[in-house]
Amino acid sequence: MADKHKAAPMVDEVSEFEILEIAVRELAIEKGLFTAEDHQAWTEYMHTLSPVPAARLVAKAWLDPEYKKLAVEDGVKASLEVGIDWVKQMPTQFGTPSDYCNLRVMEDTPTLKHVVVCTLCSCYPRPILGQSPEWYRTPNYRRRLVRWPRQVLAEFGLQLPDDVEVRVVDSNQKTRYIVMPVRPEGTEGWTEDQLTEIVTRDCLIGVANPKPGKTANDPRPIRKALKPYHH
Amino acid sequence: MTSINPEKIELDKEMQSRDLDKSAIPVLEQIKKQGSGHAWKDLSKKWGVDNPNPPWKVTLEATCEVLSEVSCALPSLERRWEEDELVEEHYKDVPYPERQLLALAHSMIRRGLIDEEDLAKHMEEVGKRLNMV
Repeated sequence: MADKHKAAPMVDEVSEFEILEIAVRELAIEKGLFTAEDHQAWTEYMHTLSPVPAARLVAKAWLDPEYKKLAVEDGVKASLEVGIDWVKQMPTQFGTPSDYCNLRVMEDTPTLKHVVVCTLCSCYPRPILGQSPEWYRTPNYRRRLVRWPRQVLAEFGLQLPDDVEVRVVDSNQKTRYIVMPVRPEGTEGWTEDQLTEIVTRDCLIGVANPKPGKTANDPRPIRKALKPYHH
Repeated sequence: MTSINPEKIELDKEMQSRDLDKSAIPVLEQIKKQGSGHAWKDLSKKWGVDNPNPPWKVTLEATCEVLSEVSCALPSLERRWEEDELVEEHYKDVPYPERQLLALAHSMIRRGLIDEEDLAKHMEEVGKRLNMV
């Protein structure tokens, strides 16, 4: 029988950047800065990271008031229930300074919206949220969010009414944050799995709110001009 | 609402006092030039691949981690501070994560962790190895 499986496309050329990445890594190993085993252990660990555990934490908290209390009081302990051990999971087995073991879960209310930034660099709760998006690292987001949060959130498509207070939480070397948004209407009777699907990475950073039917971290929408300029 | 992070002010002060040599590094300038149009965003479009990141992104992240957490040769906070400065100065037009990689190599050379000449030689060897058919 003919095999109908078609191979996925791949990039079949070597770039200067790919060569540079390998050369830097191999030279560092050659100089004894770290071993190939250390590097392999961290690479594997990095591959395991994603926003799903944080999304599940929020979904569980929406369904279980006791768990919500725990999440707000002790994010690190609550993380254990979604499979994340901030201390022992790292290749170091004792946490790391750049993923310091203090997670705070910021609970939104109908009149209070939290949003996370790191004005210092790009501190991010990676063990529970995966790698940060590119825009989170940019000076544009980092500098402007603390000064003009409503404007920046609007650029993400999140328009907040005037009676909603915006609170910007600034990550640092010792504390990392995720946002627990308000459970949206239209999700009554949903299971934990269903709820987990709508808590996207952007909702957990605070630049979006969950909505039934919106399950991916779609690119920012491009809106057509209402009054386009014609040459 | 949060005001300016005092840790950021301290970090800026500390890093500025170190007077980082931000001058261009010829081997990296050459990569920037040769790599133009060959960043992952260009290659993935050309070959119809939809992964948002190049396969080497995760190994780059791991290199940054081990340099900070295992060898303590380049702490993450200092690397990110230098990355912001170097990108602004030299790599603004290079897409991400390529500019993160260039900034890392720049920091490592300026800190004497790797040598520019060694890097150029080793890149040649790696290039031959990867392009072998």
